[in-house]
Amino acid sequence: MKTSLWGRHVLPFILLLGLLAAATLAGDYALHRLNLVWVGRYLGIPGTLLIIASMGYSMRKRKYITSGNPKTLLKLHEFGAWLGSLMVLVHAGIHFNALLPWLATVAMAVNVVSGMVGKLLLERSRRHVQGQRDHFQLRGLSRSEVEQAVFWDAVTVDAMKQWRTVHIPIFLVFVVLALGHISSIFLFWGWV
Amino acid sequence: MSRFLKIILALNLAVLALLTFVYPHLMVSPGKLIAGHKLLETDCFACHAPLSGASATRCAACHKTADIGLLTTAGVAIAKPRTATPFHQQLISQDCMACHSDHAGVKRYHLQGNFNHALLAKASRDQCQSCHKKPKDSLHQQIDGNCLQCHTQQKWTPASFDHDKYFALDGDHNVACATCHARNDYSRYTCYGCHEHTLTNIRRKHIEEGVSKFDNCVECHRSANKHDIKGGKAEGQGERKKEHKEKD
Repeated sequence: MKTSLWGRHVLPFILLLGLLAAATLAGDYALHRLNLVWVGRYLGIPGTLLIIASMGYSMRKRKYITSGNPKTLLKLHEFGAWLGSLMVLVHAGIHFNALLPWLATVAMAVNVVSGMVGKLLLERSRRHVQGQRDHFQLRGLSRSEVEQAVFWDAVTVDAMKQWRTVHIPIFLVFVVLALGHISSIFLFWGWV
Repeated sequence: MSRFLKIILALNLAVLALLTFVYPHLMVSPGKLIAGHKLLETDCFACHAPLSGASATRCAACHKTADIGLLTTAGVAIAKPRTATPFHQQLISQDCMACHSDHAGVKRYHLQGNFNHALLAKASRDQCQSCHKKPKDSLHQQIDGNCLQCHTQQKWTPASFDHDKYFALDGDHNVACATCHARNDYSRYTCYGCHEHTLTNIRRKHIEEGVSKFDNCVECHRSANKHDIKGGKAEGQGERKKEHKEKD
């Protein structure tokens, strides 16, 4: 059982988080080595856009949008937010200038960790409701209808609900701090 | 999300917003300002125009163009100016940010010492020695001014001048510039600056070969090799033959 918990949940979690840290350091090092530090300065823009685009899943879940396969959108949410966060982390670099952007970066990092915990919990929930699949199939539902039903059940079990009450405030803090940083850039930066 | 949590969240964010306005140099400033701008640390809009960045007009509020390089912003004469001649007055436009930046975090990205000479008015653009010191090597110590003959205004090195295109400095010709370019005038040259070539022996040799025009040596000779004559031997001979025929 211990091996199972480690292999199925803890190890992938650590690997994904470690990969993010390693990719950030490698990206920052490569930009400095190739004399392309200026690229890092602008990576915050595509990174933020990618994070915003990955919010399609959240919109779909709250029925602000009705089209799109929720499972695919969740995959895109996980990947887009991870990659966008990587870009923002490279953008932040290891330069300590002002507090607000760093608070935003820390909030984003906490958000990423929280998101990964959510991914882990979802996987557990999904397995928990796996048993219901047979039940739905017995009711004569098609394969895609069963997939949808099991998916929504998985994301609405108690553990996921409790996680969401933590994840959403963390996300909101990140949004406000990031908006503060972006607003200050627009206010003081000369784009032309 | 519970109502209590929402209130806590809103209060925290309100405190952060307040801190941003009270301590902008800590909250949003991308690094320290240069020592001369220290007093402006909490007054972002002293230099920045809202939504359009640092503005030259705001720089000029303290740094009067006519005084730059001569007087400090307090009106005191600068004891040790960075350049022998003030040049900001000679700029075609007052675009401070084309060369200057501030904040430690921004200066990191700014290309230092990347002055675009095209920003200078034409009259002062070629007066290199007004701002630049002559290199101390033996070659440059022989030369005064006229830097653009050999260098561009984009890069000092590599020099754009290729002497071999005019005459290869090989063999006995690797000599002091003034041997051929009297008074360091690189628009002219003479081959009679050394003991080897005199007008008498050069005339004799060329007359023997049937060449009567030999006042511009590099027109035919581009190196110390006397057989390497411009246009090739056949052409040279052809020209010589033609000259002979004209004489006949």
